[in-house]
Amino acid sequence: MLPPFELLEPHSLDQALKMLATSESVPLAGGTNLLPDLRARGEAGGRFISLAALDQLHGIEHSDSRVLMGARTTLSDILHDPLMPTAAPSLVSMAKVFAGSMVRNAATVAGNICYGSPSADVVPPLLSLDAELTLASAAGERTLSLNDFLLDYKKTARRPDELLISVAWAPPTTATANLFYKLGRRRGDAITVVGVAVTITIENGNCTKARIALGSVAPTVFRAQEAEEALVGGPLTATTIGTAAQAAAQASRPIDDIRASADYRRHAVHMLVRRLLTEAWQTAGSQHD
Amino acid sequence: MTDKETQMVTEKRVDIQVNGQACEITVPAWRTLLEVLRELGHKEVKCGCEKGDCGACAVLLDGKVVDSCLTLAWNAAGRSVTTVQGLGGPDNAHPLQTAFIEHGSAQCGYCTPGMIMAAKALLDDIPEPSLKDIKRGLSGNLCRCTGYTRIFSAIQAAAETLREQETTS
Amino acid sequence: MNRIESPAAGTANLQLRQVGKPLVRTDSPTKVYGTAVYAGDLTMPGMLCAAVLHSDRASALLRHVDTSRAEALAGVHCVLTAADLPPSQGVMTDMPGQTGGLTKNTKQPILAKDRVRFCGEPIALVAAENAAIAEQALRLIDIEYEDLDGIYDPFDALAPGAPIIFGDDNVVASYKVRKGDIEKGFAEADFIVENTFTTQYQEQAFLEPEAALAWVDEHEVLNIRSSTQVVEHYRAVADAIGLPHNRVRLRAEFVGGGFGGKEVMTIEVWLALLALASRRPVQLVQPRERSFLSHGPRHPFTMTHRTGVSGDGKITALQIKLTSDAGAYAKLSPYILLYATVGATGPYRVDNLHIDSVSAATNNLPACAFRGFGTMQANLACEGQMEEIAKLLGLDSMEVRRRNFIHTGDANVTGQIIRSAVWSDQCATQALAALGERPTDTQTTRIGHGVACYQQSYGRIRWMKDSSEAWVGVEMDGTVIVRSAVTDIGAGQSSALAQITGEILGVPMDQVVVYFGDGAVTPLAGTSTASRALYMSGNATKMAASQVRKNLLGCVAGYFGVKIEQLDMCDSQVFIIDDPQRSIALKDCVKLCAAEGVHRHNLAIFRAPTSEGIDPETGQGEVFPDFTYGAHAAQVAVDIETGEVKVLKSIGAHDVGQAINLRAVEGQVEGSALMGQGFALCEELILKQGRLQTGSLSEYLIPTSEDVPEIKAIVLESRSGLGPFGAKGIGEPVYAPVAASIANAVADAIGVHIFELPITPEKVIKALREKESTK
Repeated sequence: MLPPFELLEPHSLDQALKMLATSESVPLAGGTNLLPDLRARGEAGGRFISLAALDQLHGIEHSDSRVLMGARTTLSDILHDPLMPTAAPSLVSMAKVFAGSMVRNAATVAGNICYGSPSADVVPPLLSLDAELTLASAAGERTLSLNDFLLDYKKTARRPDELLISVAWAPPTTATANLFYKLGRRRGDAITVVGVAVTITIENGNCTKARIALGSVAPTVFRAQEAEEALVGGPLTATTIGTAAQAAAQASRPIDDIRASADYRRHAVHMLVRRLLTEAWQTAGSQHD
Repeated sequence: MTDKETQMVTEKRVDIQVNGQACEITVPAWRTLLEVLRELGHKEVKCGCEKGDCGACAVLLDGKVVDSCLTLAWNAAGRSVTTVQGLGGPDNAHPLQTAFIEHGSAQCGYCTPGMIMAAKALLDDIPEPSLKDIKRGLSGNLCRCTGYTRIFSAIQAAAETLREQETTS
Repeated sequence: MNRIESPAAGTANLQLRQVGKPLVRTDSPTKVYGTAVYAGDLTMPGMLCAAVLHSDRASALLRHVDTSRAEALAGVHCVLTAADLPPSQGVMTDMPGQTGGLTKNTKQPILAKDRVRFCGEPIALVAAENAAIAEQALRLIDIEYEDLDGIYDPFDALAPGAPIIFGDDNVVASYKVRKGDIEKGFAEADFIVENTFTTQYQEQAFLEPEAALAWVDEHEVLNIRSSTQVVEHYRAVADAIGLPHNRVRLRAEFVGGGFGGKEVMTIEVWLALLALASRRPVQLVQPRERSFLSHGPRHPFTMTHRTGVSGDGKITALQIKLTSDAGAYAKLSPYILLYATVGATGPYRVDNLHIDSVSAATNNLPACAFRGFGTMQANLACEGQMEEIAKLLGLDSMEVRRRNFIHTGDANVTGQIIRSAVWSDQCATQALAALGERPTDTQTTRIGHGVACYQQSYGRIRWMKDSSEAWVGVEMDGTVIVRSAVTDIGAGQSSALAQITGEILGVPMDQVVVYFGDGAVTPLAGTSTASRALYMSGNATKMAASQVRKNLLGCVAGYFGVKIEQLDMCDSQVFIIDDPQRSIALKDCVKLCAAEGVHRHNLAIFRAPTSEGIDPETGQGEVFPDFTYGAHAAQVAVDIETGEVKVLKSIGAHDVGQAINLRAVEGQVEGSALMGQGFALCEELILKQGRLQTGSLSEYLIPTSEDVPEIKAIVLESRSGLGPFGAKGIGEPVYAPVAASIANAVADAIGVHIFELPITPEKVIKALREKESTK
């Protein structure tokens, strides 16, 4: 049972932004995080703004240089988009293991990002793709990188009057491998113990770009930048991959919780980063063979 | 209710089609579709966790399967809901229902209504599902009795029946 | 002695027309169409909603409980605390439903008074106009606690000077088994193998949380319709609140999963009190988080085996120590410990044996019945030890098992002679064979095969003096009614009675209606627990149906001028076996009987074998009616980098005696395969200072569809059981070896045994590291 709350139902984005500007309220999209939280707290009195009627937030647009995803895109939409397997392979891998089909039908990309949880599975793939977010408010729009958006545990750069309206990124080239792996305590519908997304671009046999995004091993999803730097500029060898994996593990700041210890999480980061980088090198490298 | 809560109560009339029948109910914003359906007498929609962990309350909302416990009744306004009873009954059983009966896919039966609705959505989406597709399609529906194996086989059998019906019609 | 040597034995049932077939269960259609009624689906005019306040402290004095603000809330009808309860102040949580034998005094307060002993203990009850008001009222109850030191480890609880939670010494129960000459046995041993195994709390996680509805009817009878495994709780409700037994009627609806969690009374007595206080119908459906607190999970066990073995793998001596965490109240812990004790040597014959078992009270959640009832934990240690012995001796573990298997005619742990078939070897061999070839290891995965056997009782402890009654009658149109108070908890309990009756009376099972689960108007059948429902009620129903058959055939024999033995019944006809053209429709046969004043119905009682307990010094005596044997085999792939374990194949092979409904039997095997996998790998109730950390289905992880391996059930039929047509009980037995087989498969894969369940990725990595460092 949910405690009493107020629900505003804007019919347009403008109306929604006005409501956000003038009333202390929280945007409510799929509700798959917020409603269980409300129920657990059991306290009456919140105010929410339903995004259900804002059709302009739906839809995915693909062009050669850019994928633009409306903030109300659901995890199911990702799985049903025919171009997504090339536009964001890691995002598709993630969506396949995200919760169950009912939650995938409801949960939105924006909701998962804005909730700010370190175990938000949508985030590592998008972070590994250098995604940018567009936030709108009654005062106008601004764009910032997902990396800059994530501040701390359940803390983001979104101001209370702002709404995340879209997510965009450049689709990977054929010379790029983009992979995701989720380690959970069971295979279906589990909170992530360690989530890893990597993006590796190989040009002329050298790694020209590397992104390693890690979930559930720090207060927020983050990029292991030192590890990324260790990879760029040459071919990926067992040594460079090992160095990067080690660096990723060291950059992690996990906690002990009911799912795993911090020690184990660091170990798993090391192993999974190594594994994904090795696989990425093989797949991206093979595009040149 | 406390004073604060009384002030906040803003009820709204919500029209929902449930299994083809128009229903009208006046509810506050925090009432879930699960609660409303059960109040309307649709006890076939089961409640197992109230937070999207178990799938016992799964129904189709405009053809898409949702956890009715995570769906606000207001968000179902003007939309159509299908429960397992709307799928069919003894006189017009849906192939999924026939297969669930024949394969012995229900034991305690509590997960069954939600499980069948998730299966229906799956087959609407993927008419020839692989075992992998079926496992993915049901990962939000917990069953504690069966080990799922007879649920998988029933869905495969129903998919075949539906494809045969498709080609003969 | 009924010694059965091979699968060819026992061919007496081959003429069966329905029994053994995979027929559609009678309860299937209603569940699939969504018309089946569960307790939470019931409504009544004027019905109130209840809510329960559970303690959020594990060990504290209740200084003050003030309900005045809650009572003042509009829409609240009553708020009850311990102060409002009748003086009996307790509810019997001993073995439910028994009519004979002694009970232990294990009363537990209905609501906490003066002190709470575990986090989750019920303190207050509310009945209100709707659930929202009831919830709000809970938040208006003011409680002043004074925290006390708590104990959260059974070994701490048993240490001298520990604060006392239970009795004089925190010992909830203890047993001793002394058999043979243990010193001589160890002296004869070539090797001694000692290991300690531990298991965790496991939550039943039935999909339907506790639900019930209670009201006082026009005859001043207190009615309760509930999701329970035991309608005989009506007596415990009546005793707890001071009503005559005949003024409480308890009916069990379809139960949305029980697994032991709805065996001891859960919420019925709370609703009884609220209905009496409010004089209105009151319903409670526990939210999932409170369901976790409303029944007892599986006991954590610590089990040490010190085994003496000869060089060829024969056990010469075995010393076992078992310790279980009972939690804050006794509930069924003494009996569960007894099951663990009797099951401690698994399906093996051990002549020189010492067992010391103890169950200790702590301020943790009170643990209680869960499928397997202590036997499966004990079996896990036994089967892990078999692997360790085999490894030490360099033998195949199946060879070690074969050298030690108990056989029909042997004495078990308590000296009870095993009389039915023991097909452990056949089952294990078939299960292992069904695993097929091992896939090859990859750079990062290791494949392992594991097997486990077991011995699990079915039927209740003999000194419970168990019985079950059933009524079978034929209507004037030839349709058939069965009346039995058996509860239908999802395994096909009522359907099996229809199938058995249909077989005996030659009527298609869908023309048999079974009225079940009503403590007032259907003959009492005992509980759907202890893998006894089919064994007991199946026998009672078969007896009643057989008597009706005899009566009917007697009339027809006179009509045709033949002997009863020349007649048979099939397809609602009675016919002469050698001249099938000469037949009479069942409905006409019934008319003949009616005209002659012959009973067309019968009420039968089946009694299980009884005995008077065990010797307290030696543990010797007959404890159970009989045992089921079988095996489970698993193939796993272990990721040696991340420690993740994936079960690839999971095969159960069991001698079920005689399947009544083959499909239902296979369903039990398949379901237990996944539940056991959960216990082995991912399920774990974690408590921190007594407080539950995994109290919802997103933290407590039962296997999902994505976790399902290839599962197969192999059903063997020795027809040697004590149930109808030679059936054995299977609900718990098929579960007993699963987790052990997976643990053994993991050990096979990585070359090191993990002694502590669940086998998390983390423990796999730790084990691999330790193995590496000892090289």
